[in-house]
Amino acid sequence: MSELARRKLKKNARPYLYSGLSLLLIFLIVVFPIIYTLYISFTNMNLYHWYDFTFIGFQNYLTALFSFDSGFLTSLGITILWTLVNMVIQLVIAYCIALLLNSKFLKFGKFYKTLLMIPWAIPGYVSILLWKTGMFNYQFGLITKWFNDLGIVIDDLLSNSVSAFICCTVVNLWLALPYMIMIIDGALQAIDRSFYESAEIEGCGRLRKNISITIPLIKPIIGPAVLITTFTTFKQFDIIYLLTKQPVNTGANISTIITYAYENAFITSNYGYSSAVSIIIFILLVIFSALTNQNVKRKNSYGEE
Amino acid sequence: MEKNKKRTLKHKKRVGFAKKICLQVFFIALCIVTLIPIFYALSVSFNANNSLISSNFSFFPEEFTFDNYVRLFTENDMLLWFGNSLLLAVSTVVLALSVSIPAAYAFSRMRFKGRKTLLKILIILNAFPTTLSLFAIWALMRNMGLVNSKIGLILIYTGTMAIFGLWNLKGYFDTVPYEIEEAAMIDGASNRKIITSIVMPLAKPAIMVTAVMVLIYVWNEYIYSVTFMTGSDNYTLAAGLYGLQANETSGSWPLFAAASLITSLPILIIFLLVQKHMVSGLSAGGVKK
Repeated sequence: MSELARRKLKKNARPYLYSGLSLLLIFLIVVFPIIYTLYISFTNMNLYHWYDFTFIGFQNYLTALFSFDSGFLTSLGITILWTLVNMVIQLVIAYCIALLLNSKFLKFGKFYKTLLMIPWAIPGYVSILLWKTGMFNYQFGLITKWFNDLGIVIDDLLSNSVSAFICCTVVNLWLALPYMIMIIDGALQAIDRSFYESAEIEGCGRLRKNISITIPLIKPIIGPAVLITTFTTFKQFDIIYLLTKQPVNTGANISTIITYAYENAFITSNYGYSSAVSIIIFILLVIFSALTNQNVKRKNSYGEE
Repeated sequence: MEKNKKRTLKHKKRVGFAKKICLQVFFIALCIVTLIPIFYALSVSFNANNSLISSNFSFFPEEFTFDNYVRLFTENDMLLWFGNSLLLAVSTVVLALSVSIPAAYAFSRMRFKGRKTLLKILIILNAFPTTLSLFAIWALMRNMGLVNSKIGLILIYTGTMAIFGLWNLKGYFDTVPYEIEEAAMIDGASNRKIITSIVMPLAKPAIMVTAVMVLIYVWNEYIYSVTFMTGSDNYTLAAGLYGLQANETSGSWPLFAAASLITSLPILIIFLLVQKHMVSGLSAGGVKK
């Protein structure tokens, strides 16, 4: 081989050498599980067919999508409700708090902001378990205690689906609000003050200013963060699983699609079925992100990029 | 007229003062409400006579003690759990950076077949929720003999964060001007030399943020460590805390509260330290292209 050819080969191979290790790890930990899950999803692998599983075609998919008893569609409905409720409350509260943080009448705003960021900095599972034991627990949870002090006897908060859903929402808000407040606060600070001055000259009220100036101006800035949060909320597993399903099921019956897939694999050992559900979730997520990406791109086409 | 103006000014001032007071009260109340779970955990963990069942709860322990913290280290293996978590976190950060930096450099600076497609596919693949990979990864690790092994977990964590690391660093490398490297290349510097002595120092904020994000991810991860680490020698903080809350009825809530606070403290400190750099190191890289 001539010197030139060798050098060219070396140059062509270099990017693959540099990224090889990273791509190998990604293949093992990210790509392989998807392929394996896809493969298992066409089989009847479960507790009774652990090694001798056979191919059953699309049956798992059909069960998930078309048999209402399977529970997948119910959990999908709960997941959508969960995402909607959480995102709406989160955006409204975060917007109000961020507005107040930016009020010219507020002193020590930075100090309050730092304190309000603390929930974000605590490991998620620690926070969730702290809430579970410290706030919701039937024996020594503070919330139960407060109700008792008021003379109201309440049931175990996590034993009932509706109150457990509310508890999960409260914890999710506690965990997610700091990030949202920070994002909206950052966006508010980027608004040009002169807009408000001219609005004041025009005699606009506070509500008008919010609707016609603040919200349209921060929308494109907070857009990506809101999208990412929507996806994390949709994919939420930790809160519902840790609060209501372990170490033993508390009696509440709320399943999001992810906890549903998890339970089918690890509680009832329906691996084939759980894999099919996982693939459906994956396809849903990819479609959502493709749609939203297109939307963002179209909106930005007249903007910077 | 003049008098009227004065009066409205005075009125305005008074309204402003009232607003100031209201806002302060609101934010103090909000902070207290937000931090109640943490105050409660603090109070319980330092309380000597656990009057938990009694209804006269106060945020300040009646009798102060370090007993719960001492018990964590003597009767439980808190030190071991902490050490394991630290070992996992640091090893993962080192491994993740050493595979992601060259890969990000290749994707940012070199042009090769499949580059753009790979980048796009990686983003799509990242949509697969990690919780759902649990079973497949467990099958993989069992075949590799890496269940209940720290190496197995380090590989899982690195692989999970590899796409984030690659994209975030690549995004930042893209903003570092190429001219300096060209000049160095003309001077005969090797690629490795260019990465270590030019690109890495320039990309310090992004590398730091990537490292912190990986560290926080590993520290906060529980489902893999609880599922894979079956032997108590390999227990991480998450597995240890799991065990403590599992028998909450037997009265280990004060221990659990103390352990929660110890687990949270390192991340809280790191978080407050890097909070300022978070925005520059993240927004420059990653999502924005």
